[in-house]
Amino acid sequence: MKLLDKLFEQQTRHLAQRSSRRGMLKAIGGLLVGAGTIPLLPVARAAAADAPGRPTEKGDPASCDYWRYCAIDGFLCSCCGGSENTCPPGTEMSPVTWIGTCRNPADGRNYVISYNDCCGKSSCGACLCQRDEGDRPLYRPDKTNDINWCLGTTSLAYHCSTAIVVGVAFEAE
Amino acid sequence: MRLALTLYLALLGGAAWAGDINSQRAQFNYQMSCQGCHAPDGSGAGEVPRMREHVGIFLATEAGREYLVRVPGSAVSALGDAELAEVLNWIVREFAGASITLHFEPYTPQEVGQLRQYPLNEVVQYRAQLLADIASANLRE
Repeated sequence: MKLLDKLFEQQTRHLAQRSSRRGMLKAIGGLLVGAGTIPLLPVARAAAADAPGRPTEKGDPASCDYWRYCAIDGFLCSCCGGSENTCPPGTEMSPVTWIGTCRNPADGRNYVISYNDCCGKSSCGACLCQRDEGDRPLYRPDKTNDINWCLGTTSLAYHCSTAIVVGVAFEAE
Repeated sequence: MRLALTLYLALLGGAAWAGDINSQRAQFNYQMSCQGCHAPDGSGAGEVPRMREHVGIFLATEAGREYLVRVPGSAVSALGDAELAEVLNWIVREFAGASITLHFEPYTPQEVGQLRQYPLNEVVQYRAQLLADIASANLRE
């Protein structure tokens, strides 16, 4: 029994001499921050981007050859103070919209793109982009991008177009 | 064993709601042919009629049921009969909510194919009259 006592005493003293309470706090703090950082690593984010509706993307949303613009006909909101998803300040996004599909080169899948127009100001005039894939003549009004889609907004004035991913295209197997 | 499996699958298929809806295909066709005006959740916009918590009202009468196929957005859409029937059944399932009061018999491709031969012209007036008729029929009950 004495041997055991001595052994523990030695071990405890050894620990007390070699470690500090602050060191303990530091270790716990390091663990907490470290565990919190792991989900932010690029690996985890790349996996999360596979969720439908949030595709992995590459390219410049202010350039006409950006993948989402395959069916667009208008000024890019990305060049007009907005983005590919949002309207510039002072304009209103039309709830009525022209919808098409585009192939995302990053993952090879087709996505449903909603080209919601931003309305309420005169034409932006920057980055005119007209790629028109899937555009149909005016006699198919739901499938033409030649009409003014500022419908359902307070103003009919067209300013620029967004290109919002609203889903994944269905492909028959 | 194979017979049992076939029977089981047939039962599963029969249990599926509204004549076998492929939800992904139906939603895609809705997005491509309807959502641009009726909005992602069927709530409509401006003068575009709302379908959410509303579309089921039309299913109270035969003329109303036919209306949902004969309305130009359905009748002259680029969808084939089977796809149109499926997307209509999907719309009823997803959007009708409490607006549906009776048992809903799913649209079939044959029914849709026949009805869409007669697209409506004066839709706004026809729709208003239809809703008035349905409302007065409900009052009589």
